[in-house]
Amino acid sequence: MNVLLNQEKSIYIQISEMIETDILRGILLEEERVPSTNELAKMYTINPATAAKGVNILVDSGILYKKRGIGMFVATGAKEKITAARKESFKENYVMALVKEAKGLGLKKKDIVSMIESIMED
Amino acid sequence: MENLILECRGICKSYGRKEVLKDLNLTIESGKIYGLIGRNGAGKTTLLSILTAQNPATGGEVTINGKPVWENEEVLKDLCFSREIVSSTQNGIAAMKVKNYLKAASVYFPYWDQGMADELVKEFGLDIKKPMSKLSKGMLSMVTIVVALASKAPFTILDEPVAGLDVFMRRKFYQLLLEEYSNTGRTFIISTHIIEEASDVLEEVIMLHGGKILLKENTQELIGRTFCVSGLESEVDRAVRNLKTYMPERTGRGKRVTVVLNSGEKIDETCDVTVQPVNLSEVFVAMCNETEAAYEK
Repeated sequence: MNVLLNQEKSIYIQISEMIETDILRGILLEEERVPSTNELAKMYTINPATAAKGVNILVDSGILYKKRGIGMFVATGAKEKITAARKESFKENYVMALVKEAKGLGLKKKDIVSMIESIMED
Repeated sequence: MENLILECRGICKSYGRKEVLKDLNLTIESGKIYGLIGRNGAGKTTLLSILTAQNPATGGEVTINGKPVWENEEVLKDLCFSREIVSSTQNGIAAMKVKNYLKAASVYFPYWDQGMADELVKEFGLDIKKPMSKLSKGMLSMVTIVVALASKAPFTILDEPVAGLDVFMRRKFYQLLLEEYSNTGRTFIISTHIIEEASDVLEEVIMLHGGKILLKENTQELIGRTFCVSGLESEVDRAVRNLKTYMPERTGRGKRVTVVLNSGEKIDETCDVTVQPVNLSEVFVAMCNETEAAYEK
């Protein structure tokens, strides 16, 4: 059920995930300034309060930090932290949904494993 | 910007025998973008015109920081109500050229920003030499947007600002609004029927229904606690037992309902149901439907 809830996420969660993805892809580098909440608001046509909520999620998890009077910056080690967090939630977000759907279809464990083996190399 | 509180207490309004607003209470704090939504004839324009002292209430009072708004120049200077212009029914306006209409606005609003008005006119591609009667519905909306933004009033109210605008201009409007809001922190109240497009921009949503305020809440929080639950009827019923449900729909053995969770409430996750988020217009439809059903009883 959680997976379905996540299909369409709250805007502020989407904002925080977009910033995370930009960090993972090297669009935003560590110790670099991220767009301000007003810039994000304009970019995505959303209320600045919603954008701020998304940014604050990342501040709370130590991915961004605030330099007073200047703005928000990507923390050193942010990339590693995001990767670790996403690995941790991978099972819940993807594998459990996969298993649930497979069960409903009557697929066996070995069927799924062989499917994965056919598309994924070591 | 100074903290202002716009407050309505016990507002009643009747047109002849028709009661439009019934003992309505509403508090608007400054520094947010609010959306006013309600069905056709719900009384949105009536409420907005009473808020800005352009229409007398049958009962009750509107104040800003405790000072009555009615015939009070001291507080009226902080308010701008940029009405929907209907040039066919407002004869005085029909013959007026756009530039004269804007000129009148510049005299009326004490904080008027002519530079901004000129810039917006250019951005919208409005021909200021044209008479108002020759403008399309979309262009009339653009004029009301120019007036609202350039008024620089701390409380600015726009009634259906996107009516008649194409999808590009609607987006442009919301971007201009956000830019002005980011720069100044002015308070905006916007009424609209195109709810989904506006929902991401609105910090709070105000629903007007049955002459009263049905709800006033942070938009994202409201959406975040509303879900659509579907599946086999018995499973759905089990998943939402003890919860207040809206808009039940049955199709064969299947059922779907909308639930708005209050704090501490949750959907039973052990049931075999599909739980999906809904958008703001669906929340609105569900809640209005519910109260209408209640009135019929």
